[in-house]
Amino acid sequence: MSYQAANPLADEFELELGGAWTAYWLAFLRVVTGWWFFHAGVTKLIEDGLAYTYGPAYLRQMTGTALGPIPVLMGEHLGWLIQALVPLGETLIGLGLMVGALVRLASVFGVFFMALFWIGNAEFGHGLVNSDLMGLLLFMTMIVLATGRYYGLDAIIEKTKLVKRHPKLRYLLG
Amino acid sequence: MQQHTTVIDKAAMALSGGLMLLGVVVLGIVEILAGQPYGAAPLTNDAGEVIATPMVDPTLRTGLVLAGLLVLALYGAYRLVAPTKDEAATAQQEITAD
Repeated sequence: MSYQAANPLADEFELELGGAWTAYWLAFLRVVTGWWFFHAGVTKLIEDGLAYTYGPAYLRQMTGTALGPIPVLMGEHLGWLIQALVPLGETLIGLGLMVGALVRLASVFGVFFMALFWIGNAEFGHGLVNSDLMGLLLFMTMIVLATGRYYGLDAIIEKTKLVKRHPKLRYLLG
Repeated sequence: MQQHTTVIDKAAMALSGGLMLLGVVVLGIVEILAGQPYGAAPLTNDAGEVIATPMVDPTLRTGLVLAGLLVLALYGAYRLVAPTKDEAATAQQEITAD
């Protein structure tokens, strides 16, 4: 219910980035998105360690996509690296988001992963907008709204002398 | 707090948003108007035979979205290397008059 007749949005649920509900929701969304990737990564680490052989195999089957030969070449020539980077990357991205540290940097890698999954899974039977694209958009939202500043470590890190001396680090934090 | 947007900000928003919406929404409408399949994958019968293919190649549509993301990535990289408002103000203060 609004308490200001002139502005129906100006109540306790107003979407203001400094508002309590916005902070609560952005932090919640960040932690859940982080858990999603952390779970995917850490279970791969438990089962296969740094030798996740499905990673390069998945990339090698990505023929005829909008990414051209890039994923196939990655799968063929960087297999050893991808076997390690997929579980490790997913785990670190998830961890970063959950604790709210280096959220923007972690989310850039999250977008990269989700772009590959979106194109590679190609589950377009009900259109291009599917859960993979929604996951990609979630990471974009983390970057745009700097969600690490809401109950995240980035809020503390950004107050350090190092970040004050190099304010551009906020483009990787936040 | 009011945020100032530059021409580059506006261009990045317009181009990335335009490319992504073209790939997802505009060509999605075209796909629906063109009849089955309404999605972006071939339609198969129970035997698994393809009975209808999308009018717009999903490679093109996903490519447009990726291009939009690339624009945003380039914009992010630009913001990382371009001087911030504070840096620009400091640089201005250092200029001495004759």
